[in-house]
Amino acid sequence: MSKVLVIAFAEQDGSLGKAALEALAAAKQLGGEFCAGVIGEKIDAAADMLAGAGAAKVFGVAGSDFAQPRYASDAAAAEAIAKAAGAEIIVAAGTSRWSRVAAGVAHRLGGQIDTHVTGLAVENDAPVVTRWYYRQRMMAQMTRAARPWVISVDPGSFAAWQGAPGSASIEAVDVTLGDAAKRTQVTGVRTPSSGQQTIRPEADVLFVAGAGWTKKQPDGQFHVAEAEKLILDFVDNAKASLGSSKSLVDQKGEGQAVLTCLSHLNQVGQTGSTPRHPKGLATCCHGEEPHVVGWRFITERRAINLDANCGWAQGKADVLYVADSFAVMEKVNALLAE
Amino acid sequence: MSLAEQNAADVDRQCMDVDIACVGFGPAMGGFLTTLARGLMNEDGTPAVESATMPGMPPQVICYERADDIGFGVSGVVTRARALRETFPDLNPEEIPLCHPVTEEQLLYLLDPIGASRRPLTVRLADGAIKALKWALPYSDHALRIPFIPGFMEKHDGLLLSLGQFNQWVGNQLMASGTVQVWPSSPVSEPLFEEKKVVGVRLADQGVDKTGAPDAGFMPGMDIKAALTVIGDGPVGPVGRRIDDEIGMPEGNHQHDWAVGMKVVVDLPEGCELKPGTVLHTLGFPEPEIFGFLYVYPGNVAAAGIFVPSWFDNPVRSTYRYMQHWLQHPALWKHLEGATLRSWGAKTIQESGRRGEPHLAGDGFARIGEGSGSTNVLTNSGVDEAWKTGTLLAEGVLELLKDGKPFTKENLEAAYVARRRESWVEQEGRVAEKARDGFQHGFVRGMIGMALAGFTKGHMALGGDGRSPYQRVPTIEEYAKGKLSAEEIETLRKEAHAKGQTLHDAIMDRLGWPAIEYDGKLIVSHQDALLLGGKVQAQPGYADHVVFVYPHLCEECGTKLCAEVCSGQAITVNPEGGVPLFDREKCVHCGACMWNCGSVSPESTERGGIEFRAGAGGLHSAEN
Amino acid sequence: MTGGFQIVVCGGIVPNPLQTLEPITGPSGPALKNEAMLPAVLDPWAWHALFEAANLAKQNPGSKVWLVALAPKAKLQQVVMTIAQKVPFELIAIDGPASGFAESADVAEELAAAIEAIPGLDKSKLLVFGGWESASRGAGTTMQMVGEKLGIVDQFQGVDELKAAPDGSFEVLERIEGGRHQVSTCAGAPALLGWATGNLPEPPNNPQVGMANMRGVMPALQKAKPAKAGANGATYASVALPQQRRATRIVKDTPVEEIAREIAAWIKG
Ligand SMILES: Cc1cc2nc3c(=O)[nH]c(=O)nc-3n(C[C@H](O)[C@H](O)[C@H](O)COP(=O)(O)OP(=O)(O)OC[C@H]3O[C@@H](n4cnc5c(N)ncnc54)[C@H](O)[C@@H]3O)c2cc1C
Ligand SMILES: Cc1cc2nc3c(=O)[nH]c(=O)nc-3n(C[C@H](O)[C@H](O)[C@H](O)COP(=O)(O)OP(=O)(O)OC[C@H]3O[C@@H](n4cnc5c(N)ncnc54)[C@H](O)[C@@H]3O)c2cc1C
Ligand code: SF4
Ligand code: SF4
Repeated sequence: MSKVLVIAFAEQDGSLGKAALEALAAAKQLGGEFCAGVIGEKIDAAADMLAGAGAAKVFGVAGSDFAQPRYASDAAAAEAIAKAAGAEIIVAAGTSRWSRVAAGVAHRLGGQIDTHVTGLAVENDAPVVTRWYYRQRMMAQMTRAARPWVISVDPGSFAAWQGAPGSASIEAVDVTLGDAAKRTQVTGVRTPSSGQQTIRPEADVLFVAGAGWTKKQPDGQFHVAEAEKLILDFVDNAKASLGSSKSLVDQKGEGQAVLTCLSHLNQVGQTGSTPRHPKGLATCCHGEEPHVVGWRFITERRAINLDANCGWAQGKADVLYVADSFAVMEKVNALLAE
Repeated sequence: MSLAEQNAADVDRQCMDVDIACVGFGPAMGGFLTTLARGLMNEDGTPAVESATMPGMPPQVICYERADDIGFGVSGVVTRARALRETFPDLNPEEIPLCHPVTEEQLLYLLDPIGASRRPLTVRLADGAIKALKWALPYSDHALRIPFIPGFMEKHDGLLLSLGQFNQWVGNQLMASGTVQVWPSSPVSEPLFEEKKVVGVRLADQGVDKTGAPDAGFMPGMDIKAALTVIGDGPVGPVGRRIDDEIGMPEGNHQHDWAVGMKVVVDLPEGCELKPGTVLHTLGFPEPEIFGFLYVYPGNVAAAGIFVPSWFDNPVRSTYRYMQHWLQHPALWKHLEGATLRSWGAKTIQESGRRGEPHLAGDGFARIGEGSGSTNVLTNSGVDEAWKTGTLLAEGVLELLKDGKPFTKENLEAAYVARRRESWVEQEGRVAEKARDGFQHGFVRGMIGMALAGFTKGHMALGGDGRSPYQRVPTIEEYAKGKLSAEEIETLRKEAHAKGQTLHDAIMDRLGWPAIEYDGKLIVSHQDALLLGGKVQAQPGYADHVVFVYPHLCEECGTKLCAEVCSGQAITVNPEGGVPLFDREKCVHCGACMWNCGSVSPESTERGGIEFRAGAGGLHSAEN
Repeated sequence: MTGGFQIVVCGGIVPNPLQTLEPITGPSGPALKNEAMLPAVLDPWAWHALFEAANLAKQNPGSKVWLVALAPKAKLQQVVMTIAQKVPFELIAIDGPASGFAESADVAEELAAAIEAIPGLDKSKLLVFGGWESASRGAGTTMQMVGEKLGIVDQFQGVDELKAAPDGSFEVLERIEGGRHQVSTCAGAPALLGWATGNLPEPPNNPQVGMANMRGVMPALQKAKPAKAGANGATYASVALPQQRRATRIVKDTPVEEIAREIAAWIKG
């Protein structure tokens, strides 16, 4: 097997995040020896974890210049580590931080890259990756002969490595940043306003609200305020992620009564996100492509729709409840609150 | 929109000058622009004639198409392709996806294997005779193969096409020529008149709410001024109809006969025996008035569909449900079972043909294609005919341009209308009109008629009798007389309408039609057909293009025919009663609602309660 | 910013998102069945990038927008007709595959070369825009490589907002985990931004914009250079549609209480 390098960014406290531990597990799946590299302001705890997982060597780039997720500094650090390690296969977690630089790093190394990898195997002593094309519409298994080869694994696709930290002797890689690399400054993080629920990767359940919530109901009336309350109560009670169909978030532009708790960040599907959760409950949405493309990685899927012929009935959900979501969710909320 | 808003809108309305403004990109416009483009430039690349609006340049020719792409039309298509071959003498079917020469033609008379079809006594007697003699007849799977194809239907020197793919092919070549521009996603709302002269067109307003009132991003539709406006907006085009409203129809002509055609394109099951180039026409089932077609393309792909005509006097008609029963007729199902839906679509066909011809030209405008009465109503073929009318107009226009003559009614009549009168489109249109007159008198003339006359005694009519749909469509009570009591119907109506549902399913179920069992592949719910097949989408920011103009008519309307017939389930019954609801995100712009109103406009005997205006969006499938 | 920005938007074309897709094995690797027949649109996120570019150009007088697109010429021509009435841009066309299976490195090479070749290109004013991912390859790797080739190290991905200050510096919001945005400031061009949805609605069609764009579109298409992009480098063991069908249990005519109990138990379990 080629020389494998796992690259990780340390969290603010110097540890390794869940996604990095997943990437670590993925790299270990390749078998054989591997090295690791870690980048961040403080990296000791992360390096110990990597050593504990069996990294033959741990390269590190540390310091305040590397605290911020910023292209110029992150790319320079990762490039330097990969070169120092002589890496041929580079595995990293496809976090927003790594995704920003991964392809640039591959380019600097004269290598090739695959992202959003959801499965890894070894055949003929080379990695075979599973990844999706056309927005999760088709799945490919592929390999490459060229090295270095950068493989970004999708968070949530591999079970995180679990084990005790070891004690690393970090091989510090020297990266000095010129002024040109500091033209960008990260000034902070903006969290959605309170009350706004989002897609949270760690939740067990994804709740997807469809356009039906804001449509005229069988009594001929709109019940938007009620819908908003039912949805938010559920999300609170079940500690669920809140997703929505495109139709529902698009209505903002159409001057209709809308659910204020939703924005484009909630949208799942073709032009939205494809979250990963063990369970998903779709309500008042039709369940047709490309909408269900966003459900590709939801393991158990249930839906509530008034219409028995709804798209979810066509082999896309495990259970379709033909019922009024308003009535059902009110009762579900009561039961969950107990 | 209030008057004040309207005025405000008019203030910022921009204006643009071109030489020729064209409305709609169907085969008629394809023929017009292809012929015109070839004549506008000399071999050496210099303009053959000069633009009046941009001196030194060739004439600026702009075509506005309502749909979101140039390949989103709906048609059969089997065509003799005479005019197409005149334009493209070296036409190689392999260059156009889903194009194949016709290799085999069959005409099937379908019997009713279910027993729910509404067959008059004579038809039932004929069916009985066929069954009794089936050992001696070409009969199988509840279908009689008519042993010969009537001459007027024969297409064996013809081509099978997909209208979407064909239009794309034509459009790509045209645009690459650089001589003309075709802009999709650009509905034309109306012609611009100065007295009776057409001086251009107005595009639809954008950034408006459902009612047309200015909203975020308001942009009043631009006025496009042109010396000549060419209208090829098809059978239900609002621009053509607006001209008819303004200047009337020629004496004796009317557009009272219509049909809605609905089709699917399918991947045939593996091992299907149908050969590419096969053309199958059917009649007799699901109702005697409903015709069907199945065309086989290369690559194990087929198009199949039906026509539900205005003279099928059923107030609870749903083309979609009838198509599902038709697809499952044993004679078709033996080929289609296991097939997968690729595409779906629906559109109106103007069945008055030559009789529906409007004024073909006037000061500043000319009309081509189906909206100009070119479609042959005996054969339901209109593509080649439309193309031909376009080429004839282009020849005339080039002549006028080169002679420096203005586009007056007189000049256009000499240069275009005269050419049209000489053409085979006119001659065959007249034959069809005559043949149809025969049917209207209850005699089945024409060849199908002759084949069937023996056993249907003329009940298998090919056409209407000139009455408007509103004059002939019965009440549900009349329609279901003897099968369902008025009380039962009223109960069903209340139940369905309270849920905002239409009545056709409940009534058809009671009349013996079996419930549809979805197979999830071809037999799918109507909603799935819209999404999986039609890929129906509509951009926000446009006004509703289906408008119920006389709320009081809808209040009193018992049939809600518009909702029953709606091809996209875009019109639904309002549970609160009164005016139906319209959801433009589901509309496929088939235009069926326009002629399927049970009431008549208080302002014109030629119009119903719905105004069908120019709108964006609709089908996004390029295979229909 | 004085003198304005030079904004180059990189955007490919993809099948209209509602189309049914199926993979096949073509002569040069995996491909889409009937690809030439499927109606296409400008890649959705690049589409948003184009609106943002036009908006930024409008707010900064003297700016100009280019659209660099690598796609089969005939399809590109058709797509351009559906977008050219929206916002003013100058098209730079490259004739090549629009397939998701074409290597992003090859595509980046072509795009960067086309950008370098823009007459009068001034990198101190250059903002390279694109989608943060394509809807075909879905990899999010092309733009970074374009930036690298052009020597741009101020790169942002998943951008939802760019606010330019009068001195040419700007603030950027990038999507990060948990529905949050990372806020950065950048001293100014050159920079590269891979856009997510942004905040702008689709502009209306404006026939005059269309007419103005058309003056450059046809010549650009005629000049389109053939690209070498392909699937070189990757060996595909399989490309398949996912196993989609589940055995759906349909629960109907069941009291709401019972359904609610079942769902609550499932959520808790
Ligand atoms: C370019 C493009 C990209 C797209 N990308 C995406 C994407 O990323 N994500 C996405 O979601 N879509 C996307 N789509 C849109 C997609 O095609 C659908 O239009 C959309 O997902 C439908 O949303 P929906 O199911 O919420 O609404 P609808 O189709 O309107 O369905 C509403 C449903 O609610 C049901 N309902 C109503 N009231 C009740 C009630 N009381 N109880 C139970 N059920 C009820 C109705 O029966 C109906 O089935 C995209 C489309 C395009 C063109
Ligand atoms: C189901 C079905 C099957 C058929 N089968 C056959 C067959 O087998 N053989 C055959 O020869 N013919 C067939 N026809 C008939 C044939 O399709 C038509 O006669 C032919 O398409 C007419 O061409 P046209 O150019 O006049 O109009 P159309 O093809 O209708 O084109 C008109 C165009 O104008 C556009 N338009 C409308 N209003 C506006 C507006 N306000 N602004 C801008 N654009 C506008 C429309 O979107 C459309 O693209 C069939 C029709 C149907 C519905
Ligand atoms: S539009 Fe016509 S058919 Fe429809 S409800 Fe009104 S009157 Fe009845
Ligand atoms: S509303 Fe639209 S889909 Fe329905 S009948 Fe009218 S045109 Fe056809």
